[in-house]
Amino acid sequence: MAGKFNPDLHLDITGFGGKDIDMCMNCGTCTTICPMSEDSGGGFPRRVIRLIQTGQQSKLEETLAPWLCYYCGDCTTNCPRQANPAETMMASRRYLTARYDFTGLAKLFYKSAVAEILAIILVGLFVTGLFVAFHGPMVLNKVELNTFAPVHAVELGDWIMAAVLSFFLLAGAARMTWWTLGRKKMFRISPLIFIQQIPVFFVHLFTQKRWKKCGSHHSGIRWMKHLLLVSGYLSMLTLVLILLRWFQTDKVYPFYYPQRLWGYYATIALLYPTVDFMISRWRRKEPIHLFSEASDWIFLVMLFLTALTGIMVNIFRVGGLPMATYLIYVIHLSIAVPMLVVEVPFSKWSHIMYRPLSIYLYGVKQAAMRANRAADEPASEKVAA
Amino acid sequence: MDNIDENVVRDAAMPTTPRVGVYICRCGGNISDVVDTEHVAEICRLIPGVAVSKVHTFMCSDPGQQTISDDIKQEKLDRVVVASCSPFLHELTFRGAVVRSKMNPYLYEQVNIREQCSWAHKHDPRGATAKAIQLISAAVGKVSRATPLAKIRLPNHRRALVVGGGPAGMKVAADLAACGISVVLVEQSDRLGGKLHTLNRLFPTGQAAIQLAAKMESQVLADPKIEILLNSKVTKVSGFIGNFEVGIHGNFGPSGKTTEIHTTVGVIVMATGFKPYVPREGEFNYKKHPTVLTTVDFNSLLATQNTEGRTLRYEGRSIGSIAFIHCVGSRQVDGVHTPGPDGRLNTYCSRVCCTTVLNQAMQVRQRFPETRVYDLHQDIRTYGRGHEEYYTDASRAGVVFFRYHGDEPPTVTNANGPTSPLRINVKDYLSWGEELELEVDMVVLAVGMTAGPCETLVDQLKLPRGEDGFLQEIHPKLRPVEISVNGVLLAGTSQAPMNIQETLAAAGAAAVKARAMFTTEEVELNPYVAQVDTHLCEGSGVCLTQCEYDGALAMVETQENEHSVRKAQVNPGLCVGCGACVAVCPTQAINVSGWRIDQYDAMVDGLVRDVEPAMV
Repeated sequence: MAGKFNPDLHLDITGFGGKDIDMCMNCGTCTTICPMSEDSGGGFPRRVIRLIQTGQQSKLEETLAPWLCYYCGDCTTNCPRQANPAETMMASRRYLTARYDFTGLAKLFYKSAVAEILAIILVGLFVTGLFVAFHGPMVLNKVELNTFAPVHAVELGDWIMAAVLSFFLLAGAARMTWWTLGRKKMFRISPLIFIQQIPVFFVHLFTQKRWKKCGSHHSGIRWMKHLLLVSGYLSMLTLVLILLRWFQTDKVYPFYYPQRLWGYYATIALLYPTVDFMISRWRRKEPIHLFSEASDWIFLVMLFLTALTGIMVNIFRVGGLPMATYLIYVIHLSIAVPMLVVEVPFSKWSHIMYRPLSIYLYGVKQAAMRANRAADEPASEKVAA
Repeated sequence: MDNIDENVVRDAAMPTTPRVGVYICRCGGNISDVVDTEHVAEICRLIPGVAVSKVHTFMCSDPGQQTISDDIKQEKLDRVVVASCSPFLHELTFRGAVVRSKMNPYLYEQVNIREQCSWAHKHDPRGATAKAIQLISAAVGKVSRATPLAKIRLPNHRRALVVGGGPAGMKVAADLAACGISVVLVEQSDRLGGKLHTLNRLFPTGQAAIQLAAKMESQVLADPKIEILLNSKVTKVSGFIGNFEVGIHGNFGPSGKTTEIHTTVGVIVMATGFKPYVPREGEFNYKKHPTVLTTVDFNSLLATQNTEGRTLRYEGRSIGSIAFIHCVGSRQVDGVHTPGPDGRLNTYCSRVCCTTVLNQAMQVRQRFPETRVYDLHQDIRTYGRGHEEYYTDASRAGVVFFRYHGDEPPTVTNANGPTSPLRINVKDYLSWGEELELEVDMVVLAVGMTAGPCETLVDQLKLPRGEDGFLQEIHPKLRPVEISVNGVLLAGTSQAPMNIQETLAAAGAAAVKARAMFTTEEVELNPYVAQVDTHLCEGSGVCLTQCEYDGALAMVETQENEHSVRKAQVNPGLCVGCGACVAVCPTQAINVSGWRIDQYDAMVDGLVRDVEPAMV
């Protein structure tokens, strides 16, 4: 069946930060130069650009290609027409994030910085409001954070938020899975393959090792910085979600105690890369940081502020400043919560799910295609073999 | 040889016993590595009539030529044979050498023992040597019977006929007139300018076509040396270089009545132009749907649409999207496209359409920003200086490109949809050959160029056409504006698809070439034409039936012993010396000068002469 040409899709992608898509003359230099293209089903990034140029929206939804690109920027550097293929891949990731989200909020936040900031402020005010209304007694002669904000109540809030956000994120993941594997019914996939490939998801979630195949421009260093950030993030997630009762204590442990050491590590692992990435985006030196959308800045700034206010809570608590501790704690949560609520399912944070998931799905697809090919071979050939 | 001293011709009398000088060239080993040149020279001395037989390492060198000159004087030679390379390379060189020694240049003969002996038979030196001797022997026979000849000189009329008043014709006329040559400019329509009137903004400058037309026209009109005949056609043409008789039919007189005039010109320049390809009814829905246009139609639409707006408007409709389809009537594929009425497939690229499309696309995008433009092409061939920028700019302006293969062109059908009336299906090779469907308001077909109308001149002057129907030049690189009929030149798209820039360059070249033909008072032609021995001619007229060249041969009434008799007469300006008449003459009264039958007899004798008993 003929694909219907839709001239509006590329305008839509331009709204997500796509640059100079019109300039692409489909020479394929980007695809030839890309070290990831060959083991990504071929034809990328040109294929993605062409789908956008011709407005093949469903085909774009059905491809995993944008998620298999790690933005080394070699294609953009070598593009003879300055068509910026790397940024088009980035924009298509934003576009797909918005498409996976059934609420439409992601699209709203990506296309309007004002809406995103407004949403963050509203959620932040809501959190502040909760504390104003329901906080515990404020002991002022010594720091008693667990009296001001009882750990079981905070933990309950944590889990409610985690459940709600997981729901939206998993809904997005489900759409991604259905579109890329199920909707077109191209081949049968045995459930066994889904199980067999599960390790792939976790390997890539924790290591992002595919990134190391990416092209030039300090990919190795960038990968390590990003790995540091992920380790800090996952550490913090573990500490506040699973180990909160151990982590949020009024007792001041010695410096070398694991509770403190782990917290400091996570803080540094969050602060150093976020600052480094912000400087790089500001200076626009690396190809990946040439173009920054509002969503990129908001994500970095919120992550940085979360970590900064988090460590200040620790400093004031250890320093024995009760009022300052309570105040900064409220500010910390009024930043951390909206950061998570807005970013996790509806903005840039979601790539922590979509990246490893796409590699997992790609692995499933490849395995299923191999299995299908083997099954489709005529019996006579099997005998001959 | 361009400069023959006529005295040389007159002084050379036919000798009773010729004294032939034979010169064998080693060609620096090219010949002597295979052919035993010393042996050849020795044997050639034995041939009757040979007075001198010598070998030289490079006959064409100054010392080599000097040897010939010296021998002509000292040995009193009256014939010269050089056995060396192809006459294409050095015939003129050696003719020059003999002329410098006051000998008639047509008493010289060249034998090609390099290409035909040493190179062709390098594994058979004995055979090559024997063959060289035989060929030289034949040449000695031929040259011994040669008579002194002179170039044919005919009056040269300093007047040019330029056929066609488009940009090429106007340029030729203006350039020639500037050199003081009078010009007759014949244009079939009622105004000068030709196809410029169908164009809008010209690439790569963006200049208005009518502005260029007006500028060129005023230049031509202002020049008193140019006689402009509008509404007229060349109906009769005959003659040869320097002497073409032309009949022009038209209503150009002050009375406005149709009249015919006759004039004599020295040169004819074919500036007859091209015809745009006209799609068949139904080809890409052409003529089946009102918004399927050609680039020619679209040019006039752009020219007449004065009001700027958000979208282009056509016949009361707002055109929200236009698809251009390239290569319509060009690069046609056997088995896919239908041949034209003449049975011809236009397999060639028309060269101008790619930039034309992008030029039009850019005008649409700039003037009507809400009209979207799509471009369906096989390749983008924006080859000229400043043309590629149109491609880049079109991309920047949001033109979306699709690429089809020549054997699977897109289809255009009526969509009957509520929004866009036309549907295009294209197998897009930028999308890995997937089929895409576009709905558009208008389709513009980029039509190519086909050979222009010039039947009268082609038929009467026997001008050659290429397989594509365009007039065929002699050599695409070495003689690009000349055609095999001497005195006829090509200017512009009568020859091949060209853009205006190339057309004017070609026209300028044709003008210079025409000007060069007028440097002499007389036209010089090679003397190798038929000659009638009026004593032998009995007026059978058989020769006339064989002659392929109009006017080259005629039967004329002459008085002989107070009787009126018919005799054949040759027009040396039109005869090409093919010899068809010679073969059929019952009384052997007709011969080609320089190639007479008795010379052939002597060559055959020479070939079979047993000059070297030892080798046979």
